[in-house]
Amino acid sequence: MLSGLAVCAVITALIAGVTGAWSPCGFSMVETIGTALGDSRRTTTLAASTTFAIGALIGGAVTFGALALVGHMIEARTSGLRDGLGAVLALAAAIADWRGVKIAPQIRRQVPERWRWTTPLPIACGLYGVLLGLAFTTFVLSFAVWALAGISFASGDPAIGLLVGVAFGAGRAVPILWMAPSLRRGAGARRLDALASEPRLWLGLRRLDAIGLSLCALFLSGASATAAALPAATDPSAAGGELAWQGVSGPGMLLAQPGQATILPGNHPALGGSLIAWVGASQITVADASSLATVTTFGVPGANALAISAGWLVYRAVGAGGEENLVGMSLLGSAPPREIASSKFAAEIGRPTLDGSDVVFTVDSQHRNEIDMVDLETGARRLLRSANSGFTLTNPSVLEGRLLYERVDRCSQKLLIGPLARSRYERTLLNLPSTVKRDPGFESGYEHAYNRASLCSNRRTGRGSAIRLGPTTLSASTAFVTEISSSPEAARVIGIARY
Amino acid sequence: MAIIGLSGAGAAARAVLPDESDAYTNFCGHTYTTGNCPHPTGLPRVDRNDYPLRASDGHPVDDLGRPINAHGYPVNARGEILREPDGEPVPPAPRSKVCPAAGRDYGLKLETDGSWYRCCGGRVRRLMDCCGYTSVRINGDAALVGYCYAGRHVFCVQYYETMMPC
Repeated sequence: MLSGLAVCAVITALIAGVTGAWSPCGFSMVETIGTALGDSRRTTTLAASTTFAIGALIGGAVTFGALALVGHMIEARTSGLRDGLGAVLALAAAIADWRGVKIAPQIRRQVPERWRWTTPLPIACGLYGVLLGLAFTTFVLSFAVWALAGISFASGDPAIGLLVGVAFGAGRAVPILWMAPSLRRGAGARRLDALASEPRLWLGLRRLDAIGLSLCALFLSGASATAAALPAATDPSAAGGELAWQGVSGPGMLLAQPGQATILPGNHPALGGSLIAWVGASQITVADASSLATVTTFGVPGANALAISAGWLVYRAVGAGGEENLVGMSLLGSAPPREIASSKFAAEIGRPTLDGSDVVFTVDSQHRNEIDMVDLETGARRLLRSANSGFTLTNPSVLEGRLLYERVDRCSQKLLIGPLARSRYERTLLNLPSTVKRDPGFESGYEHAYNRASLCSNRRTGRGSAIRLGPTTLSASTAFVTEISSSPEAARVIGIARY
Repeated sequence: MAIIGLSGAGAAARAVLPDESDAYTNFCGHTYTTGNCPHPTGLPRVDRNDYPLRASDGHPVDDLGRPINAHGYPVNARGEILREPDGEPVPPAPRSKVCPAAGRDYGLKLETDGSWYRCCGGRVRRLMDCCGYTSVRINGDAALVGYCYAGRHVFCVQYYETMMPC
């Protein structure tokens, strides 16, 4: 599913591409392709139109995809600054395009005219398409193009960059495809004349660009901003615009509407679909999330973590010998409980999270740490991430194919979000120094050199961060994470807008 | 004659043996300039099995640098298990041998080979070379043979504090 930023950036890119039709190169392309330089065969025009469109798509994908890739590569340390700069750039461009400010800087380059004579027309038009799609190799007719470059970079998501590029290329191709094939029949020529004599349409499109850019700026600024924190809270769970959490040294809480928190008659609440579940005295209650009317109850002693979806309930319970078991129960049928995982010691199985029938949880030990997913329908188990050495992966949450989790090593704690299957396109939502006390890597009074491997580039020696990252949850628009200070009573849940 | 002999021996000893305060690099006992092995808390102090210890007090730590108990659970300064706000223990993290972990970080197969012992701060300290088939050491210079076995060179260094007074 596309995020808000992706949707508004793609639509803006499409419009910005269309805006480019008013450029000298845009008009030249219609003329060149439409007349086929005197070649009377219609197939020549159609072939040139096709290659131009393909070239424009490729050019756009290259420029904006590459910018997003650069943003992705440097995102770890500068994501907040990068998002902020992207938002400022988008907003400034939106104001300038809304007011119809003269484009600056003026890029007066055009595509090489000689290609028309030296190469077959379809090939020349394909190359022209690439140059127009690249965006900055010819006239730029709206500030939106600059802003889209900044947004692609700021998104740090190559997939968004590619989509923006393809949309921009499509936008550049559409007016040409609309006019060129019918140029010789007269209809295309009339459209071309109308375009050339109607700058208000161009200004109108720039205003549409401005609206799109303003929305992008909102998403970007939201990405680096954190929502109000919930004090004395941990173990958040979100669904359908509602948020539940466990109060520290208190009961479970439900926030159905801003400012209206409800005390729940139990602990460890979990939301999923239209349901909410909580742990009471030796039983788990499943209720309607809006009315809190009980739907069903299960007698389960020792439950200390829950996850729920429309069709499944998953709980973690402590056994008589201190062992912990993770169990799934169908809410729709009478299937027997499914044992998902068990451990000899406490805390080796992490808090579960459910997305439909897929339950995701961590398995932690001194030898290995992994994030697993089990399909409760089939029992199929899938390894999502793992670590044998050097770092640990904790507190996962899943929603619609996106995985939120924490990666902690000796230097840093990162809150990451990305596709379930691959860690390649993950984004860093939060990056804190590690909490441990570190020495400088040399003993006092001795020569010190060549001890860079003992240091961390993101933090100094001595005490580390006072905040440790804890349990998470995902909603459609926000990633929630628990921040735990040295005193667990001071734990709080914060929201970070995701896109 | 004896005085001359003694002073000569002293001079020879000074020429051969490094002085504690100015011939060791990074930590007592470590001659030459090979860099420390990456370690969860900084100084590359390990136990006899090459697992990381906090240099300041010898407390076992995991790969994140957190002090842990015998079962691998993170503990506070009083040795009590750290707990999440909901009361559940903070889960354990991997704990790796320092030398092979350095190899994984740098794409090498590394093992602890030979050792040397020196007196440091009133205790006998074992200097352990982390060795592999490498021509460069962790700091990028040419690797030395050190205490490594045939054909292998020192990639990085670590130490183990024995209980022996000296």
